[in-house]
Amino acid sequence: MPGEVTAEDIKRAGDRRRIRVLRAGNGRGRSLKLLWLLIGPGILVMLGENDGPSMISYAQTGASYGVGFFLPFIVLTFAMAFVVQEMTVRLGAATKRGHAELIYARFGRFWGFFAMADLIFGNLLTLVTEFIAVRAGLGFFGVPPGIAVLGALLVVVGVVLTRRYWTWERITLGFAIFNLIFVPVAVLAHPVSSQVVRSFFTWGPLPGGVTAGFILLVMSNIGATVTPWMLFFQQSAVVDKGLTTADIRHGRIDTALGAVLAATAAIATVLATAPLFAHHVDASNFEGAGFAQALAPYVGKVGATLFAIGIFEAGLVAAITISASSAYAFGEVAGGARSLNSPLREGRLFYAVLIAAAAIAAALVLIPHAPLVFIVLIVNVIAVLAMPPAIVFLLLLVNDREIMGEHANGPMANFCGISVTILLVAAGLIYGITTIFPHLLPA
Amino acid sequence: MTTSKETSQPPAELPKPAANWVREALEPDQFSAAKQPFGRQTLSRRTIILLWGLRVYVVLMGLLVALQTWNAFHVVR
Repeated sequence: MPGEVTAEDIKRAGDRRRIRVLRAGNGRGRSLKLLWLLIGPGILVMLGENDGPSMISYAQTGASYGVGFFLPFIVLTFAMAFVVQEMTVRLGAATKRGHAELIYARFGRFWGFFAMADLIFGNLLTLVTEFIAVRAGLGFFGVPPGIAVLGALLVVVGVVLTRRYWTWERITLGFAIFNLIFVPVAVLAHPVSSQVVRSFFTWGPLPGGVTAGFILLVMSNIGATVTPWMLFFQQSAVVDKGLTTADIRHGRIDTALGAVLAATAAIATVLATAPLFAHHVDASNFEGAGFAQALAPYVGKVGATLFAIGIFEAGLVAAITISASSAYAFGEVAGGARSLNSPLREGRLFYAVLIAAAAIAAALVLIPHAPLVFIVLIVNVIAVLAMPPAIVFLLLLVNDREIMGEHANGPMANFCGISVTILLVAAGLIYGITTIFPHLLPA
Repeated sequence: MTTSKETSQPPAELPKPAANWVREALEPDQFSAAKQPFGRQTLSRRTIILLWGLRVYVVLMGLLVALQTWNAFHVVR
């Protein structure tokens, strides 16, 4: 009912008041303190997308192609991710509405249904792969699959039950920063620095040339950086955090920082597994733990252990963020609670959806004899295929001056957004053609 | 931009002690119970064709993924 102050409002107002006080003052380190208060959704979405399937895709990439084409390609994919995610910051800050809510409001139930169907299907599959990563990472330490998956599920539930967006965000950020654990593993792999630098300028080498396997890895690497859940999550998180149009610049910095950190971790993973390529180790059927074990002779026991922890962390953080994106979208469409600031009583459906999404995925992971590596790679491919309609909805919304006003896209943002969409459609069509006509390319 | 003044009612019925600091801290359409719904956007014919085209694209590509998954399962078996 309009006019009523809810517990959710009071919590968000508390967060906003700290920002307002800081902006009004002029003490030492004010900019850094402000940045600390305003970062979150951008870093979380980017490091969250460096999830289980993404890190395993990067590991496959390093093991299959070594140092070369894929290093600059990863930078390109994160640039694409930044272009797209920055738009969600403006959308959230200008409209104070989540992505699903806006799609339903502006385009109606018919198109909203399709957008939600893509999201729910993609999120469920992706969540399954997150628990595969958790299982694989902890499997390295001898933890039985059931205990690993249940433990991760309890963490997801525990973080959510803080019933405070700020606390949820900070705890998840604390987990997410461990994504950089792949950097010391890369150092232990002793990459040749001149080779690394050269690859960024030459986009090569590309051993074996363009093959069907190469196309699958290209798709997988794109799907490792741009996916529909990211749009829904970041916009809803921006709204839940209470960002306003005055915070858009910090939202951009947050997103750029997230992209840089995530690209660094991704490149580090490729470098870490490059020794497998150099020593002709067949990694085509490795899960996370398989990579860690295979890497031990080249990066040592410490490196292998860090790698396994990294795979576990990637799965855990993404399980937290992706289940949140499902719950946000559900709450926005159902018209109920849609905030991690909601008290348990008011937001029980919101929290139930969040926990159920994670629990269903966790249960599916324990099905025996599933081709887990294939599932992990194909989930990223599905993400790429579902992305063009999601970006078109995003572009329509962010160009809608009635809701965006002066924060609507300019020509350059539209050029970048349309270019990303065309690239994704082209990648999907190439994948489709090579799937129908597999003999067009070498195996 | 549809400003908060246009889209949202300021929370006029707040209890006074809570109202002041909460109202100062939040913009009117940040109140969870005070959001006015946005109206529908009229989609042009070109936009509808584009959306349908992309829907067909997703379905066709989904079938290809299903085909590849089927093949992968058969290889595994």
